[in-house]
Amino acid sequence: MLLFAQIVVNGLLVGGLYGLMALGMGLVWGVLNIVNLMHGALIMLGGYAVYYLYTSAGLDPFAALPLAMLGLFGLGYALQWFVLGQIARSPLLNTLLVTFGLEVVATYLAQLAFSADLRTINPPYAGQHLALGGLVVPLVPAAAFGAALVLAASLWLALGRTRTGRAIRASAQNLGAARLYGVNPRRIFALTFGTGAALAGAAGGLYGLVAQISPYMGNSLTPKSFVIAILGGLDRPLGVLAGGLALGVAEALTGAYLASTYVDAISFGLLVLLLVARTSRLLRPA
Amino acid sequence: MTVRWLATALACAVLAAVPLAARPTLTQYGIEALLLASLAQAWNILGGYAGYPSFGNSAFYGLGTYGTAVAMARFHQQFGVGLACGAALGMACACAVGVPILRLRGPYFAIVTLGLSAMLAAIVRNVAIAGRNIGLILPIFRSDTLFYELALGLLAAATAAVALTARSRFGAGLVAIRENEEAAAVMGVATTRFKVMALALAAVITALAGGIHAYWITFVDPASAFDSSLNVKMVIMAVFGGPGTVVGPVVGALLLSGVSEWLASAISSMASLFYGLVIVLAVLFMPKGLWDAGRGLRQRGLRYFGENLRRYRL
Amino acid sequence: MTDRTPIFEARGLSKRFRGLTALRRVTFHLDRGEILGLIGPNGAGKTTLVSLISGTLWPTEGEIYFENRRIDRLPPHRRAHLGIGRTFQIMKPFPGLSVLENVAVGALFGRGGGERHRARARERALGCLEVTGLASRAYDRAEALTGPDRKRLELAKGLALGPKLLLLDEVMAGLNPAEVDQVVAIIRKVRADGVAILVIEHVMRAIRQLADRLMVLHHGEQIAEGRPDEVLSHPRVVEAYLGRRRA
Repeated sequence: MLLFAQIVVNGLLVGGLYGLMALGMGLVWGVLNIVNLMHGALIMLGGYAVYYLYTSAGLDPFAALPLAMLGLFGLGYALQWFVLGQIARSPLLNTLLVTFGLEVVATYLAQLAFSADLRTINPPYAGQHLALGGLVVPLVPAAAFGAALVLAASLWLALGRTRTGRAIRASAQNLGAARLYGVNPRRIFALTFGTGAALAGAAGGLYGLVAQISPYMGNSLTPKSFVIAILGGLDRPLGVLAGGLALGVAEALTGAYLASTYVDAISFGLLVLLLVARTSRLLRPA
Repeated sequence: MTVRWLATALACAVLAAVPLAARPTLTQYGIEALLLASLAQAWNILGGYAGYPSFGNSAFYGLGTYGTAVAMARFHQQFGVGLACGAALGMACACAVGVPILRLRGPYFAIVTLGLSAMLAAIVRNVAIAGRNIGLILPIFRSDTLFYELALGLLAAATAAVALTARSRFGAGLVAIRENEEAAAVMGVATTRFKVMALALAAVITALAGGIHAYWITFVDPASAFDSSLNVKMVIMAVFGGPGTVVGPVVGALLLSGVSEWLASAISSMASLFYGLVIVLAVLFMPKGLWDAGRGLRQRGLRYFGENLRRYRL
Repeated sequence: MTDRTPIFEARGLSKRFRGLTALRRVTFHLDRGEILGLIGPNGAGKTTLVSLISGTLWPTEGEIYFENRRIDRLPPHRRAHLGIGRTFQIMKPFPGLSVLENVAVGALFGRGGGERHRARARERALGCLEVTGLASRAYDRAEALTGPDRKRLELAKGLALGPKLLLLDEVMAGLNPAEVDQVVAIIRKVRADGVAILVIEHVMRAIRQLADRLMVLHHGEQIAEGRPDEVLSHPRVVEAYLGRRRA
């Protein structure tokens, strides 16, 4: 029983990070209708930002997180303003193409600047554990989990309670009407994309604390974020977080009780079944 | 019309002659490029015409790969039989999952197709007859030229299929579904049936490509058979060239393959950088794909680019 | 031997959406070549009723009969094949296609499964465009049409199906009196071909000229049915419309 709980806890910790990774992608997809194939690259850049802030400037990684987020926000804002906004009204799949191209460029530049070596962010307290009633909870992943929860909750509050958040949601539903209420589309869209990038950056920084970063890490993270974002309902922060947690736990349980080769089959199988069941109920003639 | 036929015949003849004149590496690159172009065309049927962008056609590619491999390696069948098995597997899968999956729209459809591919890969990893994680080895047949011509033949057949679809009642139905599915249903289009047919056609072409590739490479394993990077590639090539057109995906695929190959050999160190930049700039200035750009340039000259920027920007 | 049974019948139709009852036990019929007008304040359930008949929605209770056949569980495209056509109040064109291609879809897939060949379908579509006065814009992009022309396109699309029952949902909204008279003439021509027509309208000028019978919905219930002059002077109907200007 204790083992089961431990596995679930491990899964939750990983899942929290998954959820955070997917938050930005879901936000950008749900609001801007942009399928951001460079999302993984943004996560990667966030990871490196925190890495260098820690190793060169000696900043504690958790303190460096807001700075990295700010930097990524600016990058995202600029990308939307100058590049993605130009094709915003063209067929949906074009954003896929453009972000694909941007991802290729970003990965190349990263590999040029940072070399392909694997790195980890290793603060002095990295190896410590918390003991909670027989369960072993590693400190850094737990802190990362906490940060992920805080960010997800903040996004949810921001979208629901602030004026800007409401403007973002209004633009998502009906841009024409939102315009009439004084929303400046270019600025709101750039803001949204910037926020998505900032969240990706945060995920990257936290990822670097629990796993290794490399210029190519984005490749596998984008599809995973893609999946979790959809499971969670795109621009619903709490749903996406829940999706991430669910996937994390499912993976942990499958990996522990069945062979690890089944992990992907189960997670994707569950996902497929869930989606088909849920949406086909919505789509039957009412 | 006859000009178009002549041009197509000429292009085919030229392409067919490549292996006779070129270096072996060029022929090999050609096989990959032609198979990718077939994948892009197959994607085009459901994604370009019906408006259902699949991100998991690699599922059918993998089924075609394994169908052929198992038939040839385990049951010692001929290549033709193997291909037929692969194609049959692909079609069966499409018909089986088509109805529930095609009820989903947009992102949900995309994700489920992706999930399907990953699921099949994971299942195959655990099946003994398919060689589990280790894979299978097929009988050896060395002739790059033959595989090249086969790949070219598949591309020609796929393009012919798309051309026939585009002109047919079936194609009109697919386009109506894309433009407004609810209105299409009310006007008599049997939407579910048409979508499943489109998926099945795409699945067969994709599976055949997988089968040809399997015999050429002589070795299959789950990772390469259900290679998910293929999904992005085929979508990008079709969209770059012009989704919903007959020739667009072919042009897009061959051009992108060519550019990437040339960059790799000419400026190998910065190839990725330029490849990415080329794509970004191309989409910014030609948001409707290359094919439409070609037509636009002929009709309206350079103003085409300016118009695009103004029409599609936020 | 002419069939005297109504071509269309609805019995006890109800539609509930999660706590909201949009329609409550609606019962009526239509004969061939008859025009039934359907009026009522906004939100009365008129478009919901049309959606139930065309197949976009399924009834919570009740039955629908078309040519003596029960159809309330048939998918929309099968009902189109039987000969039921509709227009949409919130118009649904095929944006990327030309006007002609929009209408041709109806001809390709309409009653009886439609035409087999696209060329024949296009000819039929041109015919429908001529009837509705849109022939001159056949090759324009459907997106480019505005206002009254969009309404005409909806009508042409409905006609292209070759319907036996046509459901018109506010095809006159926003038209000036001269345009209204034009559309009334078109509808009369269609009726003369034996088509049964259900006309939802707010434009009283059109309803008075067209309707053989009139039915009034209010909060999902039928509050009156019968000859237009009787219905329009019915006290409950007047009360439902109290405060509205009568056109």
